[in-house]
Amino acid sequence: MCRFLCSFLIFSLCAFGQKPTFTVGWSIYAGWTPYYYMAKSGILRKWADKYNITIKAQRFDYAPSLDAFVAKNIDACTMTNMEALDMPAASGVPTTSIIIGDYSNGNDALLVRNGATIKDLSGKKLLLVQKTVSEYLFDRAMTISGAKDDLKKVRLINTSDSDIATAFLADTSASAVVTWKPMVSQILKQKGITSLFNSSQIPGEIMDLTVVRTEVLDRPDGSGQRFAKALTGAWYEMMAQMAGQGPAADKVLTAIAEGSQDTLASYKEQLSTTKMFYTPQAATDFGASAGLKEKMALVRQFCFLHNLLGNNTKSVDEVAIKYPDGSVQGKPDKVRLRFDLSYMQLAAQGKL
Amino acid sequence: MSVGLLQIYARPSRTWASTLSWFLFAACIIAYFYTAESRHRENPEDRVTPTVGQMVQGMYDAALKPAEEDEQVEAATSLPQRFLQSMLWKDTKATARRFGVSMLLLIPAVLLGLHMGLFPYIGSFFLRFVLFFDKIVALSLLPILFIAFGIDELSKIMLIVIGVAPTILLDTFNLTRGVPKEQIVKAFTLGAHDFSVAYRVVLKQILPQVLNSIRLNLKAVMLFLFAGEMIASTDGLAYRIALLRRHMGMDVIIPYVLWVALLLFLVDLTMRMANKWLHPWFREA
Repeated sequence: MCRFLCSFLIFSLCAFGQKPTFTVGWSIYAGWTPYYYMAKSGILRKWADKYNITIKAQRFDYAPSLDAFVAKNIDACTMTNMEALDMPAASGVPTTSIIIGDYSNGNDALLVRNGATIKDLSGKKLLLVQKTVSEYLFDRAMTISGAKDDLKKVRLINTSDSDIATAFLADTSASAVVTWKPMVSQILKQKGITSLFNSSQIPGEIMDLTVVRTEVLDRPDGSGQRFAKALTGAWYEMMAQMAGQGPAADKVLTAIAEGSQDTLASYKEQLSTTKMFYTPQAATDFGASAGLKEKMALVRQFCFLHNLLGNNTKSVDEVAIKYPDGSVQGKPDKVRLRFDLSYMQLAAQGKL
Repeated sequence: MSVGLLQIYARPSRTWASTLSWFLFAACIIAYFYTAESRHRENPEDRVTPTVGQMVQGMYDAALKPAEEDEQVEAATSLPQRFLQSMLWKDTKATARRFGVSMLLLIPAVLLGLHMGLFPYIGSFFLRFVLFFDKIVALSLLPILFIAFGIDELSKIMLIVIGVAPTILLDTFNLTRGVPKEQIVKAFTLGAHDFSVAYRVVLKQILPQVLNSIRLNLKAVMLFLFAGEMIASTDGLAYRIALLRRHMGMDVIIPYVLWVALLLFLVDLTMRMANKWLHPWFREA
């Protein structure tokens, strides 16, 4: 006990007089690689200094970034709306989405060999990373095409995303694959492969967010709020630079693409199928629309049916979502995921 | 003269020795549950460190309920039947089959090693290549494996064989070379042929050591098998673990990992017993 107190004392003495430090984790994806440039160019530091905090941006692989966020090793993280719900929120780590960065508008796709149709997939092999947005996209593709009954008949093969492109190209017995860019572009280069369905047919259902742990935002000293403000401010300064035209913007985009060892052309191609919200106003409008609730309703049903909310979760309402207008999907005392537009609104009003 | 506790000549009593051997187990278990307890106090829905109750429930479901991708069966069937239709049994069967096939494929490796050690022409033909091949990190060749063997069972088994066979082969080779030349000469003078020297004189006496070497490589076999199942598959213990990780299903993952450890321990034990029973004359150096 004494030792514990001593170490606590030493720790707090060290912390005394130092700026609070926050870490944001990001992974490689067209809509998230800007964090690489934000950290490198000093935009992030500028905003952190303004709010008298320190922000570290750390690159992860996607799955480990989620693990780190759930384990509370990092304070903010980039993830899709689906993972925000089924990883931190469902694990009892209340999570708040502060930035709606973009939605996938063709980045995720269902590709087939030899001109197969949705009806042909029954009994065939399909490669995908199971239990992710890929499976969600596939589920939606089948539902929309009226082939919902065939869903269980397709042989899903869980394939790691790092090997999925080679695995599909090498094994001609696999007739279909669901994956995301850049793998999609890589696979489509092969002859005889066509895209059957992509995320532009379900616009807005696969969102890419920056989320913060709610308990960080609620810190009594207000440092968490300052962190969210600084992050949002930095993000929209970054967006303004990206949205520009001409050589200056190209230079920025090239530098961002570097973050994923990518070229300008390839990065632009990925951005063309990503609906970026370049202004805070566009993102707030999307976040305040009624469509958001409908889309999240589909996503949470999918998560529940696939046991992604936990094996012991008896009802989809056990993990509730709170929307900007104050309405709640699920049990009001079980709110685990919140969509908070206030930081983006402050950015839109120029008050950050 | 009394002997200090930490000295070579210390002689702990039997009770002490057995207590000590369980100490680290107890420490790990206590440390785990202490962490789990404190994490659950802070966040009752924590999934990273499940409590005993959650793990028991998770394992109960795994061992008695079919996997979610399978058809649901009516609950009226008896316990053993339910186990045979369960997710755990399905995964164990799939993994065991791959494991078994790859163990069988290690037999040719042993025989090749034996021949390389005895027949100089075969030795010079293979040795350098195998030495080189042994250092190849098989996992990094996955794309080639996919092209050559598809993404089904074969590529997973080949991953294990490519990863482990050269080690076993080289070990057998070295063991073969370690057999005293005089014995071989003696066998010839007693009228043995090439093959009876190889199989009845040399193989017979190196076999216990070869079995030991395979035993020590069990973990490598399992690692490659897990890697293969995590990369592309539709069933298997590692497939399940990879899936459960997507939503932090640690309540099933931890029992699964313990189950794998138990199975590996049993395979190891069986091989050790078989070795003793087959070669009662063998004493480990």
